[in-house]
Amino acid sequence: MTTSSASTSTWVSTTSVSSSGKRIQREMVELNMDPPPDCSAGPKGDNLYHWVATIIGPPGTPYQGGIYFLDITFPGDYPFKPPKIVFRTRVFHCNVDSSGNVSLEIVKDGWSPALTITKVLLAIRSIFTKPDPYNPLVPSIAHLYLADKVKHDELASEWTMRFAK
Amino acid sequence: MENHHISSESEEEEFSDRFVCCMCLELLYKPIVLSCGHVSCFWCVHRSMSGEKQSHCPLCRHPYNHFPTICQLLHCLLLNSYPVAYKKRELQILEEEKKTGYFSPQLDVQAWSSQANQDSNIPGDSVSKELSASMQETVFDSYNLNNAIAVSRPADGGDYEGMENVTEQVKYPLLSQQQSGSPKQISVADVLCAACKQLLFRPVVLNCGHVYCESCIVKQDEEKIRCQVCQSFHPARYPKVCLDLQNFLIEQFPKELAHRRDGVQRNHVNPTTCEGKSSKEAEKSSSGSYHRGVGCDYCGMYPIIGDRYRCKDCVEKIGFDLCNDCYNTSSKLPGRFNQQHTAEHQFELIRSDIIRGSVKDNE
Repeated sequence: MTTSSASTSTWVSTTSVSSSGKRIQREMVELNMDPPPDCSAGPKGDNLYHWVATIIGPPGTPYQGGIYFLDITFPGDYPFKPPKIVFRTRVFHCNVDSSGNVSLEIVKDGWSPALTITKVLLAIRSIFTKPDPYNPLVPSIAHLYLADKVKHDELASEWTMRFAK
Repeated sequence: MENHHISSESEEEEFSDRFVCCMCLELLYKPIVLSCGHVSCFWCVHRSMSGEKQSHCPLCRHPYNHFPTICQLLHCLLLNSYPVAYKKRELQILEEEKKTGYFSPQLDVQAWSSQANQDSNIPGDSVSKELSASMQETVFDSYNLNNAIAVSRPADGGDYEGMENVTEQVKYPLLSQQQSGSPKQISVADVLCAACKQLLFRPVVLNCGHVYCESCIVKQDEEKIRCQVCQSFHPARYPKVCLDLQNFLIEQFPKELAHRRDGVQRNHVNPTTCEGKSSKEAEKSSSGSYHRGVGCDYCGMYPIIGDRYRCKDCVEKIGFDLCNDCYNTSSKLPGRFNQQHTAEHQFELIRSDIIRGSVKDNE
């Protein structure tokens, strides 16, 4: 039993686009019925594989009240490969770089096909409350966070005002 | 437990949330039970497996190296419990399979139920004739059958005799009723242990898809668990209880299971205590070379580690391959993807030059 593009047959990649589409549709229905707190997500336009999501900065953090837009791109073999998450709103955060890339284990090597967009959004929301300065995308912000948290929070909330409101 | 609705279509049939696949989020179809006890669809498990290294359960990340065979018992159980929803899934998957050109194995439900029928209707067992007073309204039978499948049942029949009177006389509707009538009901005959032929208690599913009570799994030697039905080896340690199936059984047969629990406790069988023992298998197969994206159609090892034997005559797109061990045994199992492989087909040996570290650690 084999599946691959190689001349010898292999077991690889039997995924059909229709099955990923069904799964995304199902997630959409469930997300509408029971959305995670302070989050929303849905297809950008006609394309089921391109979503836009919003997360509201959690209270008690320098991101409080900010509205953060994210682009979600589903691969054709979703959920067997993780969705791609990019911040569209600028954010002063050690785990989000200037292009909007997020360092989040569960959408990289830690991905599991049993995870859903709801869970991913909750994980992203949690990095607002708990940045991970030990796995930073922006080392300078991580350094500031560890060395001078007050200064870090000041800058972060300034950015929230400037870019996310 | 909440019920799941199949919405947006004319026919609706509710099914329990526990039978929703964690990957496609739909009703399980051709269910596969991993060694950790978690259940997913055939194609979902296959697609979630890594073609080049160890795979992990999507729910608990338990590592495994073999693509298990579909659990026929669970397949029939779902088909009987939710005939409409399950049939719909069948059509949907068939459609996808036609598009991709890869096919899942065809399961013979008729043969399975007639087997179950046979299992539970062999007359002549004196025990079966003694109907307990409390359960006289329907047909009873004993499941302690020395049927052809129970090849290597340990010679402990005598010890069981006492409790059989109590535990084995469980009611089940006639099979004819099941085949024609709908809505269909699950009977005890549908959920019997492959070894003790009683209602499954704490069910575990081996790599070959056969289901046993946890207490009925016996290691013949220290090395591996061998299935008593198909004689194939279970390539991992003791499988964990399939809780979804267990909870379903508790819901369906509370009274019968209470009897079973008493019986099992009385017999002091508890193999789970051995779970910590490691098998030597991990060391054995860390030899190095592997075949990316190629799986063994007998034991399910994926990717194949070591030598690979490719069938030169199978025409299916997915091909037909065996690992070294399976090539050297005379096993006659069908392929994992409905290949029409026959004994006359010729194999060619393919060696891999992709070397990597042990793929088989810590299973």
